[in-house]
Amino acid sequence: MVATLAFGKQLSQMKPGKAGFVAQFTNEQLGCKLLAMGVLPGSRVEIVREGAFGGSLYLKVDGNYLALRRQEAACILLR
Amino acid sequence: MSEKSSKVANKVFTFAVVGNPNAGKSSVFNQLTGLRQKTGNFPGITVEKKIGKITLSQQHEATLIDFPGTYSFYPTSQDERIVVQTLANPTDTNFPDAVLYIADVSKLEKHLLLLTQVKDLGLPVILALNMSDIAEKEGIYIDTDYLSNQLNVPVIAISGRTGNGIELLKLEMLDLIAATKKTDVSKNNYYPLSVAAIQVANVVKEQLPQIQTDFQAVLIAHHYDWLPFLNPAQRLAIEQSVNDAGFISLRQQVEETMQRFDRFTPIVRQAIRRGTQQPSKITERLDAVLTHSIAGPIIFFAIMFFVFQAIFAWAEYPMTWIETVFTDGGNWLKYILGTGWLSSLLADGILAGLSGVLVFIPQIAILFFLISILEEVGYMARVAFLFDRIMQAFGMNGRSVVALISGHACAIPAIMSTRTISNWKERLITILVTPLTSCSARIPVYTALIGFVVPSTTVAGIFNLQGLAFMGLYLLGILGALIAALIFKWILKSKERSFLLLELPEYRTPVLRNVAYTVWEKVKTFVTEAGKIIIVISIILWALASFGPSGKILQAEKDAITYAEENELDEMQTKDLIAARQIEASYAGILGKTIEPVIRPLGFDWKIGIALITSFAAREVFVGTMATIYSIGSAQDELTLSQRMAQERRPNGEKVYSLATALSLLIFYVFAMQCMSTLAVVKRETNSWKWPAVQFLFMSGMAYLGSLLVYQLLS
Repeated sequence: MVATLAFGKQLSQMKPGKAGFVAQFTNEQLGCKLLAMGVLPGSRVEIVREGAFGGSLYLKVDGNYLALRRQEAACILLR
Repeated sequence: MSEKSSKVANKVFTFAVVGNPNAGKSSVFNQLTGLRQKTGNFPGITVEKKIGKITLSQQHEATLIDFPGTYSFYPTSQDERIVVQTLANPTDTNFPDAVLYIADVSKLEKHLLLLTQVKDLGLPVILALNMSDIAEKEGIYIDTDYLSNQLNVPVIAISGRTGNGIELLKLEMLDLIAATKKTDVSKNNYYPLSVAAIQVANVVKEQLPQIQTDFQAVLIAHHYDWLPFLNPAQRLAIEQSVNDAGFISLRQQVEETMQRFDRFTPIVRQAIRRGTQQPSKITERLDAVLTHSIAGPIIFFAIMFFVFQAIFAWAEYPMTWIETVFTDGGNWLKYILGTGWLSSLLADGILAGLSGVLVFIPQIAILFFLISILEEVGYMARVAFLFDRIMQAFGMNGRSVVALISGHACAIPAIMSTRTISNWKERLITILVTPLTSCSARIPVYTALIGFVVPSTTVAGIFNLQGLAFMGLYLLGILGALIAALIFKWILKSKERSFLLLELPEYRTPVLRNVAYTVWEKVKTFVTEAGKIIIVISIILWALASFGPSGKILQAEKDAITYAEENELDEMQTKDLIAARQIEASYAGILGKTIEPVIRPLGFDWKIGIALITSFAAREVFVGTMATIYSIGSAQDELTLSQRMAQERRPNGEKVYSLATALSLLIFYVFAMQCMSTLAVVKRETNSWKWPAVQFLFMSGMAYLGSLLVYQLLS
């Protein structure tokens, strides 16, 4: 674990339309995957909308679009 | 070993085409190779491999291998694994001489991560900056010289869409082939290895003398637990060294990735200048509607409805033409050859069987055409996003939707596409239930049977009633798949973490060339694969239906003549009666009658029984079989199968294809597992006979029970 002492807000707690900057990941495996897809510490992340049936999140990350699940978004801490 | 030496003997220079997903690799691949490409599989697994040939000059030919798109050498799914597995092992048969790396210009700050990894492997690389036409429109300027100097690779701006820069790229490839011997491959220049990494790399190199570079060795240390080319002793030695050195894979991966980004991000910033132009808002605007939580699913179903209406409406005329050609051809053959066993074999056996396959080319082509357009445009990723939540309820993944949709074309590529699902349970459930969706091989059966049950009238002004019935069958298949998935979700246990990390690429107008290649390739596969089976089965069936136990056929003929004389039948009726009695006495008749007691409760007679047996090889054989069974000895050869089946009557005079029987048969074909190729692919994908066996049993069970229920309720 990179950090369990969360000092930032989890991305999953953000409301659609709001943006923040990635501080760190709380899950290394997921963090690795996100890094490779260009989600880096310092990246600007905006929740564009929620999927149908309260499902996944539609994100805008530094001008690119990405979909992930709420549990995955919980592993991204914002500063 | 001999394979390796033969490869050296007639050495053709091989480029691996590598890049991130959505970088436009297939566009570039199609531009470079044109129609000189073929598909195969990587050894051992069903990850699709496209190989193409390219002529660079009169003396130089090169081979291109298209690899699956991946973000890095730290894969989570099977098709990403194939990239590391091949590129980290110089003895692999697909190990390339050089890499053609495709990156999307507008996403360079992400796409160069994998490039730096490829470069550290020690392979010569050409960097092709794709989508330069779009970048230009958006006012993005790239200093390719600067990029080339800083990254120490040749850089070419190209467009897989318009073909711009492709000739330059070919020249660069030619240069690389000529200069390759001078390339120094030992340098590891993007990421200084940690102490632990150096320690394990040395052990890996001791174990595997073929390893040339440190980074190859490090990758093997990262992935020692699954790399198939390691033997148990090597695996053990590497595991030991990983533990001794305190080499923690995930931590090393994060460090490495961050260092790489730190190295190339400033270079990209310096090389790219964005104009004052605002980036296009089209994707955001479209997605506001297409991925909307209410409008999104509605639009999706509207699109699917249009797709299936289109299949029916557009395919009608070409299908009629093909049918006409074959019936005329058959009659002409009979006229030329006269009556005899040869003309009977050719016209009634082979031609009739072939026409049963070829007639469905229009529908299959239209289906693949529309699906690949949706894929090209970027819509399929949205579908995965939209339905992820629902699919989770059924134990699957948003990506499963793509498999379930492609399953409507053919279950084999659909099952292969599940490799992108990294969670094993979600992937397994998707594999197990995908064949329940109505693949194109069922179209023939559906078409033939709906023809009797549903009149071809127009309702509500625009909808074809037969099209609606078709849609109903497709929905039934989907419903069956979801129910089965739910059951498997309860039965199967898994602790593995499941995730959905999905890039939503910008919407792009589809490149028709790519769509055309896909359609061409799929139709070709269908015709050759299905055609082979059909011809063999047609001949076997013709033989089974023409011959019987010694004397039985003659006896049947005599009996029929006696019966006809007693009842004063005219010549035509006598001929039909003889034919019917003969086929009943044939081996085919005996076979069908043997299983008749089992299928009787479903409303099937022994003729349908024969078709069911042959259909277990492949569903589309049903129509061919019926054509063979009915056309043999019949006076009405010129009638198409549909009309012939409508005339078929039981001994007591009632129609064989009553509503109850036709519906029961339809239900059977919706659910039954009747495709040996699918079972073979499932075996390969799941690496065990257990899952294809489970699949065969549960699907056959569903088919039998479903048909039983329908027939008993309706008759």
